[in-house]
Amino acid sequence: MEQVIANGLYLGAQYALIALGLTLIFGLMNVLNFAHGQMYVLGGFITYAIYGQLGLPFPVAVLASGVSLAVIGGLMERYLFRTVIRRSHREESTMLLAAATAFFFDAVILLIFGEKQRGVPKIVKGVFHDFGIILPYDRIVVAVVAALMIFAFILFMKYSRTGRAMRALAQDRVAAQLMGIKVDRYTMIGFALGAMLAGVVGGLLVSITGVNSGIGGPISVKAFLMIMIGGAGVVGGAIAGGFILGMMESVGLTVLREYGDVTYLVIFAALMIFLAIRPNGLMGKPWG
Amino acid sequence: MTATRKLAGLAIFLLAVFVLVPALIAATGRKDLYYTLTSVALLSIASAGVWLTFYIGRINMGQGAFALMGAYVAAVLVTRYGMSFWWTLPAAGLFCALASLLIGLPILRLRGVYFAMVSLVLTEVTRLLALAVPITEGAKGITNIPLPGAISLFGITLVPDFSTMENPRIAFYYLAVTLMVIAFAAMYRLVNSRIGHICMSLQQNEELASSIGVNIVHLRLIAFAISSFLGGVSGAAFAAVTQSVYPSSFTVTDSVNFMLNCFLGGLGYVFGPMLGTLTLYFGWNLLFQTGEFQLLIYSSVMILLMLVLPNGLLSLGEGRRKG
Amino acid sequence: MMNRRNTLKTVALGTVSAMALLMGSTLHAAANEKLKIGFVGVTSGPAAAWGTSNVRSMQTLAAWYNETGGVKIGDKTYDIDIVTFDDQKDPKRAVEGMEKMAQEGIHYVVGPNVDDGAAAVRPVAEKNNIIYFPYAFPKELYTPPASNAILGMIANYQSGPAIYKYLKENKGVKKVAFVAANESDPLSQRDGGVAAAKALGLEVVADKDTYQNDTRDFTPVLTPIVALNPDLLVLSGVAPANAPLLIRSARELGYEGLISTETAQDAKVLEEGAGELANGFISVGGASTPAIASDRMKEFVARYTKMFGEYNDESNTKVYALDYILETMKANPAAIDNIDEFKKTIDTFSAPNPYVKGDAKLNYVGTTSFGQKRQISVPMVVNEYKDGAFQTLFVGSVD
Repeated sequence: MEQVIANGLYLGAQYALIALGLTLIFGLMNVLNFAHGQMYVLGGFITYAIYGQLGLPFPVAVLASGVSLAVIGGLMERYLFRTVIRRSHREESTMLLAAATAFFFDAVILLIFGEKQRGVPKIVKGVFHDFGIILPYDRIVVAVVAALMIFAFILFMKYSRTGRAMRALAQDRVAAQLMGIKVDRYTMIGFALGAMLAGVVGGLLVSITGVNSGIGGPISVKAFLMIMIGGAGVVGGAIAGGFILGMMESVGLTVLREYGDVTYLVIFAALMIFLAIRPNGLMGKPWG
Repeated sequence: MTATRKLAGLAIFLLAVFVLVPALIAATGRKDLYYTLTSVALLSIASAGVWLTFYIGRINMGQGAFALMGAYVAAVLVTRYGMSFWWTLPAAGLFCALASLLIGLPILRLRGVYFAMVSLVLTEVTRLLALAVPITEGAKGITNIPLPGAISLFGITLVPDFSTMENPRIAFYYLAVTLMVIAFAAMYRLVNSRIGHICMSLQQNEELASSIGVNIVHLRLIAFAISSFLGGVSGAAFAAVTQSVYPSSFTVTDSVNFMLNCFLGGLGYVFGPMLGTLTLYFGWNLLFQTGEFQLLIYSSVMILLMLVLPNGLLSLGEGRRKG
Repeated sequence: MMNRRNTLKTVALGTVSAMALLMGSTLHAAANEKLKIGFVGVTSGPAAAWGTSNVRSMQTLAAWYNETGGVKIGDKTYDIDIVTFDDQKDPKRAVEGMEKMAQEGIHYVVGPNVDDGAAAVRPVAEKNNIIYFPYAFPKELYTPPASNAILGMIANYQSGPAIYKYLKENKGVKKVAFVAANESDPLSQRDGGVAAAKALGLEVVADKDTYQNDTRDFTPVLTPIVALNPDLLVLSGVAPANAPLLIRSARELGYEGLISTETAQDAKVLEEGAGELANGFISVGGASTPAIASDRMKEFVARYTKMFGEYNDESNTKVYALDYILETMKANPAAIDNIDEFKKTIDTFSAPNPYVKGDAKLNYVGTTSFGQKRQISVPMVVNEYKDGAFQTLFVGSVD
């Protein structure tokens, strides 16, 4: 059982990190970014190319993933999403744009990096094995980095000028504008930050789970689930959602395995019931 | 638009789908287009359902679930109970409508992205159910579904048995476009009725609508049930066309596509889903010879379309009229 | 252009060279009449690897034949033109693809890659006189009255029993655990595997564990299975992308038994994803191990690598379908546009297998499994992964 909980915690940390960027973008712009998973994949491939192929140090590669994605995210916001949001009658229309960019990234990634699953050499070798828990050291490193990043992100949102401006934006766009916050600028920064998070996580996790060109879509969907559980657009919600989903999977897979193929059926059905009872997730805004 | 112009438009459309398209196909010999257009017609029926839920202010990513349910209901009724295909169409629709009432009661309270996500999860739940429930044959799927039989009334054969036809694809084409015409006519009627106007107000402000005495819970349920009915019919017809059903016949991808069809056509237009489906589905096919660059071109065009016409393809006509 | 994984620059190069290739082949094609062979399968999305290795094998071979003057069938020489359709792993699209092939006047199609697609295209293929070569295992596709589908590889219910028997006799395996993705193909393969293991008198300790195909962390999936301490862990129908992750998780959890699968894998993917932890992993391949690959196979791999930047070991089993089509036509030129002639030739056809050392034959098999010859004979090469390459464990055959 200790092992199951350790698995769940690790998976949760991984999930929470994936969900952070998505929830940030959603909170700021009400855009459900279908391309989030593709951004994660792109980050993974950049790290793969720099660390795995060119042999540069791992942190450099992860940094490069983050910076590249931040640039891409900023450009996407400036030239695609801003235009469409300004011109469309209903803000849901951005979903089609997001989906189209997701397909676009899928196509580009497949053309550049090919169809195969890629992996990089382990960053730390060896396995921790004590107290009834087995955990490879590289997972421990990633989990610690994940926790630090989540912590740093919360601090940033709470105390930095940019973070405060973005929170104000997320709460009430019009009021924020009236208060003299440069809405366009902070929206772009927010989108870039969200994309950067996706890229960094992709880069970080390529050392554990590798990456392939087809997983973008499924990762987006999983990240959606997490932010729904916690409550869309709220940083705390994304973190909670990530850990809850991680724990549900870990415990569910162990407890329900005797009942056969229904494990995931039960997990998803439980999720639907949960959302039916709490229509805004754990701590979401009372609207969507 | 005046009544005569509307009638003229309808007549031209009917002429096009029932006479011109088959004539063109016959002239060019492009017989593969029968299946393509059959798919477009059937998928646009399901998309029309999604459009209706948009109309009441819900982003529906669960239509794949109902299409899959409909396909299985029809397949099971035909293969296990020997029911005629023609009865399974309404049966599948009704089954899905009933199922959607049960599911809709709790989840229609959700709004925005929450509803979108729950409906997306519903698609996955349905797929997993199809794998787990014994009646669906699980992973093996249901295959070798017989083609639709004849319809006769008082001894006169109205529709011949599909398996005796030289090319059943043509029959399926007529069937699909007929269903599509009926579905969209009904949608048009609904949207322009009193209920339609109330739905429109739901989309804008639910609280206000309920304060003037509209039973919004009922209305939403009805709209969702109609939507699911259309999804079920579409799935059932697809099962007959492909003569097989698998848990993967309709997946999350389909659910998302149904929604994208509505966006692309335009959320403000009843015929938006039809045009959106045609563009997205047919567009992919047109590009098939571009090989590995297919997805790249397809997605680039989609992004461009979105930048130029963010309110859907049909907003093009509106802009012209205004300017 | 040698290695398309590296930088953005390669995209530009790749694009240009692909276009050059395209133009080159069309220019060249002017000399001979064209023979179109179809491919309907998945080349984008999460399962892109399956169809990609498939279609690239065909394109490599076609380019090779065309470069060397075309293929002589009867008294005419043809250039081979591969017409491809990406079905996105959607059965509805697969039907669409098969209709397109019929429209193009094609009678021989390779694919689809999965069960649902193969079942969905059956009516179209039968209506339009198309022989198709699915990489899907449902027996009803190949058993009478069906007669247009020819299984393009070795089915899990054929290789599974052979592998389990070998491991039982040589490695002392007694307890087996199965794990599969919760999708049609892997689940069907798992059920087949469980039945085969039970028939051999093995104890099956886990036969119900499933995972979502998009799982990235398999530790939670494998934790309860490793605790059961099986001697053999079978990854039924595992996608090549997931295999290294499953292996790594199992080994890191301290699992020490054997791990095997019945599908084809890629050595590079295993090396990158699991490194030395993948040593000893057993899978079914084609003919690329040095022990059995002929010079022609080696040249095929070299040409494939040159054309697409990197070889995929999954192509070892997928190199065959196109050659079977062409060789059967050579044996009976009337089959070129008449599938009844093709079906007649199937029963007697035999030609040397150019990809394997020794005097192996190309012929149609499947009588035991399907009651008629509706499977191409591919050497059943059971491989063991070792330090970045596959080594042949044993070679079996199917009848």
